Amino acid sequence: MVLDQDLVRHLSESSVSVELETEEMTLNIGPQHPSTHGVLRLVARVDGERAFDVQPVIGYMHRGYEKLSEVRTYPQITTLVNRIDWVSGYANEVPFIVAAEKLLGIEVPERAQFIRLILCEMARISSHLIFMASYPLELGAATPLFFALRERERVLDLLEGVTGGRFHPNFNRIGGVKPAYGSGSSTRKVIQDLPVGFLAETRDAMDKVLEAVDELEELVADNEIIRARTKGIGILPPEVAASYGVSGPNLRASGVKFDLRKIEDYLPYHLFDFEIPVGESGDCWDRWHVRLLEIRQSVRIVQQAIDGIPSGPLQAKVPKVIKVPLGETYVRAENPKGEMGYYLVSNGNQGPYRLKIRSASFSNISILPWILEGVLVPDIIAIMGSLDFVLGDVDR
Amino acid sequence: MTSSPSDTGTATEAVETPTVHPLQEYADRVAEAVEGTATITFDTVKVEVPADRWVPALTTARDDLGLVFFSWLSAVDWASEVEVGDPFPGEVEDRFEVLAMVGDISEGRRVIFFTTLPKDSPSIASLVEVFAGANWHEREAYEMFGIDFEGHPNLIHLYLPDAFQGNPLRKSFPLLSREVKPWPGTVDVEAMPGSGDEEEPADGPSEDNPEA
Repeated sequence: MVLDQDLVRHLSESSVSVELETEEMTLNIGPQHPSTHGVLRLVARVDGERAFDVQPVIGYMHRGYEKLSEVRTYPQITTLVNRIDWVSGYANEVPFIVAAEKLLGIEVPERAQFIRLILCEMARISSHLIFMASYPLELGAATPLFFALRERERVLDLLEGVTGGRFHPNFNRIGGVKPAYGSGSSTRKVIQDLPVGFLAETRDAMDKVLEAVDELEELVADNEIIRARTKGIGILPPEVAASYGVSGPNLRASGVKFDLRKIEDYLPYHLFDFEIPVGESGDCWDRWHVRLLEIRQSVRIVQQAIDGIPSGPLQAKVPKVIKVPLGETYVRAENPKGEMGYYLVSNGNQGPYRLKIRSASFSNISILPWILEGVLVPDIIAIMGSLDFVLGDVDR
Repeated sequence: MTSSPSDTGTATEAVETPTVHPLQEYADRVAEAVEGTATITFDTVKVEVPADRWVPALTTARDDLGLVFFSWLSAVDWASEVEVGDPFPGEVEDRFEVLAMVGDISEGRRVIFFTTLPKDSPSIASLVEVFAGANWHEREAYEMFGIDFEGHPNLIHLYLPDAFQGNPLRKSFPLLSREVKPWPGTVDVEAMPGSGDEEEPADGPSEDNPEA
């Protein structure tokens, strides 16, 4: 009897709320909202708690790198491209340099390739750790941030030890990595290789990263609130993802086993044993989980690379003034955010005639109007955060 | 003409052996399916299609060739006179080259489709119906190169403010920072371009690049 009355009251209340007229409202999110990772602006038209049309407005950080590249030399451009996705600055340099080397026909020494590969994977680890820190935070869980950032700092310290820069290493040179000899008119040749103890410290850091990843998984994966806010939210089917050019972990979360490290030859990934983690349903949860699993795979790659790093020169012989022969090529790489590529047209001079920069986050967030259609307002933040973008990588 | 310069680069000379590029067979297959012409430049498969077959060609690529992943769309401004950077050596036919890269998401095949548009009032059909991701890329090409994409649902500026005049990535668009201060960074190597005494660095060792 009591139960029936409750039911009746509940029904009458819900029918009231259904008939309650809500007014359509335009809600501006950003460009200064913390969850937008920079300066993304969303113009959301909402009806009550539902957003039925969300349009991203980008360009607040457009720096015109494609135009600037046309008046710069190849070595100068590395300083531009590592500012595209600053969370993994090192990884941005590699495909660009490889594209130039491809046109020049330069074989990069093995040791330099291994160093590039180790640093690329460390950049991936630090980028994914940022995601591990920021994503739960956006969902209201602050604790994972401390675990993730502590380890990221360890990785960045090592990166800084080798390259001199935490975010903008500018460490790649055409033909290898940083010049092997001291520069200037000095007759004393200073060989600059990896800092003493780098490999041992990296091995140590990798163990600690693995521990932290276990901790993060424990903290986040069993959290009821996070599960409720991510499971089944923002489902991205693989065919939609492909047609929008969504790549990287976001694509793999939708169940597509596709990783450019297994396909392209920009770095010797074929020498290493690693798996491609994929998600099942392509929801926010999968996008978080795939990145977590990818950290473990990256650690595996770094460990193998440390064990197998050959000795030898860091640089191939290149002319002092590098003029890249005529030609055009496209080189793409699996960056932490997805497919990063450079379409390079050379006119035989010291700088490119045209450099098209294909950045991952640009395509990754072009999915926003599709994926945010009809979602709840709080889910906008959950979905947006799960795509893991950086505005520098969107606007270029 | 479009991509023939690339085949004259050093790479083909270095690999003088008359081996067929491993991608040649695939490139020919794609070209045949879309009725275009294929070239391979530095491991990049490029297929030229006429502008009026742009959308059908990419639809074929998506449906029959499995190239379902839309990577990017952009353009190259081929100009004999440039305001910024260095011009292309030799004669260049003034034109826009519109490129779209698509790939698969299984074996890693990738093809750049391209077509040529005239310099005055360049216009081409929009790919948005074929690849939803073309939306933003076409908006970018529209504002940067002034290329019109017919049938685009929302052809407005993407990065630049609405009131912005001009198309920045055209070679005729000057770069103001370079007008004020020409090319820093190469001062210690050679004379700055435009300062009168151009070219050849005395200390540049072993220049093995062909000066076309």
